[in-house]
Amino acid sequence: MRAAAALVLLATGAGAATPDSTVRFITCPIYRDADSGKKSGCWLADDRATGLRYDVSVSPSKPDWNHEVLVEGNVSSGARDVCGGVVLDAVRTSVLPGPCTRQMLPAEGFTGRKFVLPVRNVRPAAVPRDTPPGPYAARSFHLFFDFDAAFLIYQYDDYLLDEAITWLRAAKPRAITVTGYAATIPTNVSGRMIAEDPAIARVRAEKIGEALARLGIDRRTIKVRWRAAGGPVAVAEADDLPDASRRRVDISAVF
Amino acid sequence: MGMIDVARRHRGTASIILAVAAAALVAGVSVGAQADDDWWSPDSGRTFQASKDYGNPGGILRVLLKDGPMETRGHPFFSAVGPSGRACVTCHQPADSMSLSAKSAQDRWDRTAGKDPLFAAYDGSDCPTLPQAERASHSLLLDHGLIRIQRPWPAQDVAGKPIKADFDIEVVRDPTTCNSGGFGPDKGKISVYRRPRPVANLKYLLAVGFAYDPKQGMPLPLDPESGKPMSGNLMADGRAGTLNAQMRDASSTHLALLKHMDAADMARIVDFESRVFAAQQIDAAGSRVDTGGAEGGPAKLANSEAGQLGSIGRPVWSEFEAWEKPAPGLSPKQAAFRASVARGAKVFRDKTFLISDSAGINSPIGFGNPVRNSCVFCHNMTQMGNDVAPGQVDLGTTNQPFADPMPWLPLFRITCKGPPHPHYGRVIYTSDPGYALTTGRCADVGKITLQSMRGLSARAPYFSNGVAKDLRGVVDFYERRYKIGYTEQEKQDLVNLMSVL
Repeated sequence: MRAAAALVLLATGAGAATPDSTVRFITCPIYRDADSGKKSGCWLADDRATGLRYDVSVSPSKPDWNHEVLVEGNVSSGARDVCGGVVLDAVRTSVLPGPCTRQMLPAEGFTGRKFVLPVRNVRPAAVPRDTPPGPYAARSFHLFFDFDAAFLIYQYDDYLLDEAITWLRAAKPRAITVTGYAATIPTNVSGRMIAEDPAIARVRAEKIGEALARLGIDRRTIKVRWRAAGGPVAVAEADDLPDASRRRVDISAVF
Repeated sequence: MGMIDVARRHRGTASIILAVAAAALVAGVSVGAQADDDWWSPDSGRTFQASKDYGNPGGILRVLLKDGPMETRGHPFFSAVGPSGRACVTCHQPADSMSLSAKSAQDRWDRTAGKDPLFAAYDGSDCPTLPQAERASHSLLLDHGLIRIQRPWPAQDVAGKPIKADFDIEVVRDPTTCNSGGFGPDKGKISVYRRPRPVANLKYLLAVGFAYDPKQGMPLPLDPESGKPMSGNLMADGRAGTLNAQMRDASSTHLALLKHMDAADMARIVDFESRVFAAQQIDAAGSRVDTGGAEGGPAKLANSEAGQLGSIGRPVWSEFEAWEKPAPGLSPKQAAFRASVARGAKVFRDKTFLISDSAGINSPIGFGNPVRNSCVFCHNMTQMGNDVAPGQVDLGTTNQPFADPMPWLPLFRITCKGPPHPHYGRVIYTSDPGYALTTGRCADVGKITLQSMRGLSARAPYFSNGVAKDLRGVVDFYERRYKIGYTEQEKQDLVNLMSVL
């Protein structure tokens, strides 16, 4: 794990965060209205167990100030604090059903981040995609989801799906297997046991099967299945977040 | 003659209109013939001109027919094809930017003593069961420009198969009587009331900018007929994804046809609708909106590529950027108006505010709740101001507590049976469930598809339920809803901007 190699501590308030360490906790999110223009507001999350405040703003899907949030992230080793929290530079925030009292902080001198288009953004439909080079052989693509959700995350999953469909169109595999996974093994997070609903694995798989069909894949070549107790997958697209990677769909090309 | 015509249509703004009409004559454009000629009755046998101008409170609207003109005799868009005596053009009037203003409906009532087919019992009255000769029975159309839309309940998919909804719907208030008795959810019929959408500039509403719908977290759905992705921007509740589907829906409801139109008729209508472009051509100060470096007006629309996202291409309403700098030769009034329009475009793009608790923006898409952005966050298509992605958003125009009081409309109580609505909780009060009447999902209650922002001066009132009686009312709603903090000058600049689109 990344945490094992970390030697430097980031001092923040009463506690300290270890660069490259992984954190996972549930809390109520805080919105800081740091106005550096559009989408510049900061999302902060306090880990009640450690007393540390984290900046979770770079999560592809952001929190809802009315609901609890599951934070899963890696502590940055050098990112500048522009929001008032320890920066998690790879992070997922899943909105949970639990209610929260909405809380908003003023800028208080924190600038937030001026919005820039994420690297993982889908190009307009009219922009031609480069044909991926062959030869083509069996290959899997992965899409990752928020906790108990089957929603394709904007500027993350849509990008990954676009990459997959571009390759599949060129490779023309004989069959495609879509496998949905759910993280059903209970784990203790912030003092409570959480586990995904096993049914979400099927919902994820069926949605991606339908998505592939809408993108032009012959429905007859798509096989959809689902599994509970999803294990982690170590691929670049998972951003080194093993727990989040348990919640996924695999798209596998068969030749 | 043209000046007389324009002044008759808008007596309350005669001085402005006279100035505008004079400018139009100087510019060498026609401002129409007689007042009656502005209204298109079915089977009039007239020629739809390649270019025709119509006066309105904001100046002059121009309607272009690309590759026109066109004889309308026998054309299905202009022919009374059903028992009501209506044609498509009845509710999609060229002078009203191919929509229908409440003012035109009032004029029509006065001229025909309520006998015009526009006031057909089925949907041109508050409810078919009401005494049709009385004005009060048509109050929603006359006072608010609203047509009755009867949706099936339970909701149905495109094949007509019932959808299992995740919410119950009850009628709390029924001022029109059309959600009780022989109507209402218990009888499989829900009546809501909406403004007709403009049948112009449709290539923009049909454009597919991206393959994915970020609000639904899925690729765009496919048209069963063509197999191509659908933009999702045609209808207020998304119930028809293509012009053919819209025609089938309209012909069996608004036109009261027992059978669908045939393929040849639908093809002729699609051909016509695809060639109509409408936008303001002359502003309230009497200037053409395509002069002084500006690129307003319908000609630019007709000849531009549709579906471009302003944030990665040409910024929305940058058509008026040249008006940021003073130009010589203008009257003080014209110069001030142009400067205001240019400022309005910048306010529209750059004045940010916190957007919160709006499904389709703050959920389920992961922008966060709240998110700071400006008007162009949703009104993001270059030259048109609709949403490049399918634009189903809940601004609160129909849902309490954000909706303004509208005692003339029905009120429904929605009870979510599955997960609660992300922003309203388990119970929602709404005058129009909107997109939820198509999807059957509680999370979609109150979502209404964004529409074109062109030709606004010709088609008051605004929002799907006509709750904003003028453009200032639109700005005021947003100000209340999102506590934006517009200055009085910014509000007027936005009004002026919208008046020239």
